[in-house]
Amino acid sequence: MNAQYVITSVQKRYGEKIALELKTLAIWPGRIYILTGPNGSGKSTLLNILALLSKPELGAVTYAGKRVIWKNRELGVLRKKITLMHQSPYLFTGTVFDNVAFGLKARGISGENLRRTVTDSLTMVGLFDFEDRNITQLSGGEARRVALARALAPKPEMLLLDEPLAHVDRESAEIIEKLIASLPARGTTVVMSTHDSQQRERLGGEEIQLCAGGLEQASGWIDYTKDSEFNVNGGQICPVLKMHAA
Amino acid sequence: MDFILESFQTSLSLILSLDREVFSAVSTSVSVAAWSIVFGSLIGIPLGLTIAISEFPLKRWVITMLNTLMAMPTVVVGLVVYGIISRQGPLGELGLLFTPTAMVIGQTVLALPIVANYTLSAVKGSDDRILATALTLGASPLQSVLQLIREIRFGIMAAVIAGFGRVISEVGVAMMLGGNIRGYSRTITTAIALETSKGEFAFGLALGIILMAVALIVNLILNIMQQR
Repeated sequence: MNAQYVITSVQKRYGEKIALELKTLAIWPGRIYILTGPNGSGKSTLLNILALLSKPELGAVTYAGKRVIWKNRELGVLRKKITLMHQSPYLFTGTVFDNVAFGLKARGISGENLRRTVTDSLTMVGLFDFEDRNITQLSGGEARRVALARALAPKPEMLLLDEPLAHVDRESAEIIEKLIASLPARGTTVVMSTHDSQQRERLGGEEIQLCAGGLEQASGWIDYTKDSEFNVNGGQICPVLKMHAA
Repeated sequence: MDFILESFQTSLSLILSLDREVFSAVSTSVSVAAWSIVFGSLIGIPLGLTIAISEFPLKRWVITMLNTLMAMPTVVVGLVVYGIISRQGPLGELGLLFTPTAMVIGQTVLALPIVANYTLSAVKGSDDRILATALTLGASPLQSVLQLIREIRFGIMAAVIAGFGRVISEVGVAMMLGGNIRGYSRTITTAIALETSKGEFAFGLALGIILMAVALIVNLILNIMQQR
């Protein structure tokens, strides 16, 4: 069985700042991965790379055994298999239906099939009769659930979630958590970032722990080389900082 | 006060009497401005979008140039286009000078930087998650940009309205490239200039009131479209 992703010697910079540096990381299908680490450790950066939105300056990303070619045509094909829900998701102007239908329409789905899939997706997140509601009428938790329904509607192979439970009411959090836990059985692999240390136990996922990504630039005169270690069974990545005088 | 009242009366009688000359000028003004804003938008909106969402060398320089072009005097545009389409110019053989087509070309050049700049500002002011969200949901780059246009449609409509306001009210291009030919290329603004130079202030002001009314009607229509 191919790993869903293999990331090798990847480095992502924002200007002079190293936002993420990973030696190797493998994501296997049918699992839930919980991405943890302090602010600035590169969780969102990693999710953006996995979503193929952000090209790393160095290294290779392999998806389902094929190396990702960072060109629009190739990315377009792969992006139809992966969806990402941002930390504060953006809902398009219009109704809940318009939003959930967006990814389906982009895949050429229309008519009764479109309507049924939208209804099914909204039912999954507990918003059965919300189709015609304008997005301006939604609470924060409902908006988050609509964004999740929108990400799930195209039945992606990979679902990437950037802190999906941040600032969410308890009712919405329980619904979202329960849904995430059920996704591997439906054929969707999940990688989600969180600050909640107990989430891994509740979801039964594997932990990918990022440490101190990109913080070293503040010291200016020190050059760091970061190595990461990854144990597939243990599921932990924690870059070990090695300091060298410049 | 009498002077203004007299102008209103004159404008009303011109409209109610269906004065042929006035309606010819109104019709030329509106059709030339409409075609100019159509062409200006067809070029200006994609140009503004492209500059806003792509990264390329000299981007800031291009934006500065676009800002400068917004302030370009109408007579300068008229002069440049005149040089191109006059008999000695590279497009002289087409015989465009002193035709409504020449006015459309000139006014398109006037409208283009305004539409492009307003579009650019609308994209810059929009939420930067729009494109990323569309892409992560499997949309192609073109579908993502179309969604972006949908999200910033009020800003784009404002770009079109501002461009239209610029071209319907200008006189330099219409005069230099249209030639103010009665019943053919005479617009409301060139007619105002002519009547005022003849000392017909009330008639000129009446035409001004008609121009404002035309601008108001067009903007009302665009505003209704904006609210839909």
